[in-house]
Amino acid sequence: MSEKELGKKLDRCLADSAVKLGAGLGLGIVFSVVFFKRHTWPVAFGLGMGLGMAYTNCQNDLRAPYLIQRNIKMAS
Amino acid sequence: MAGKILPVLKLATKVTIAGGALYVAYDSGLLGGSEQGSKVIGKAKAAFPPAVDEWVKYFGFELPAFPKIGFAPVEAWNSGVHSSISALSSGPTAVGDYTNQGLQYLKDLAK
Repeated sequence: MSEKELGKKLDRCLADSAVKLGAGLGLGIVFSVVFFKRHTWPVAFGLGMGLGMAYTNCQNDLRAPYLIQRNIKMAS
Repeated sequence: MAGKILPVLKLATKVTIAGGALYVAYDSGLLGGSEQGSKVIGKAKAAFPPAVDEWVKYFGFELPAFPKIGFAPVEAWNSGVHSSISALSSGPTAVGDYTNQGLQYLKDLAK
């Protein structure tokens, strides 16, 4: 893939990782407070889930060999 | 009777809160693919200043104006990487040149 495309993918990866980590942290805190008597482990679990989701998304994004490239202009 | 209902009610409230948080996270695309995640960040950035303004009006005090930073780290990162690597790659040559210049200077002094 071209350098520009790679740059965009990496940017998307970073943004998505931040979102997923934040969501995991938030949900971990909610579950920890509501169900698990404010223990720390649900927060760590949520962070881990978020990290895992971000990693998988990045991996799928960077390894997309079967998607049709959409930068072909349609003849109008 | 009331003693039996209360724990069930507590559990139901907890499940509602946790389930609601999970649903909100799912619905706003926080748990989706890469593109959705980056769109969410864009939406949050766009929604942040009006939300801050509303809260300020509600509480009735003036926040100091946020200083406009004219430097965007995101845009400077690429040029930073580029300059660092060019400096590293031309490092040995530059060191050699400076050494030669220094030696020449010392030779001239010794003459």
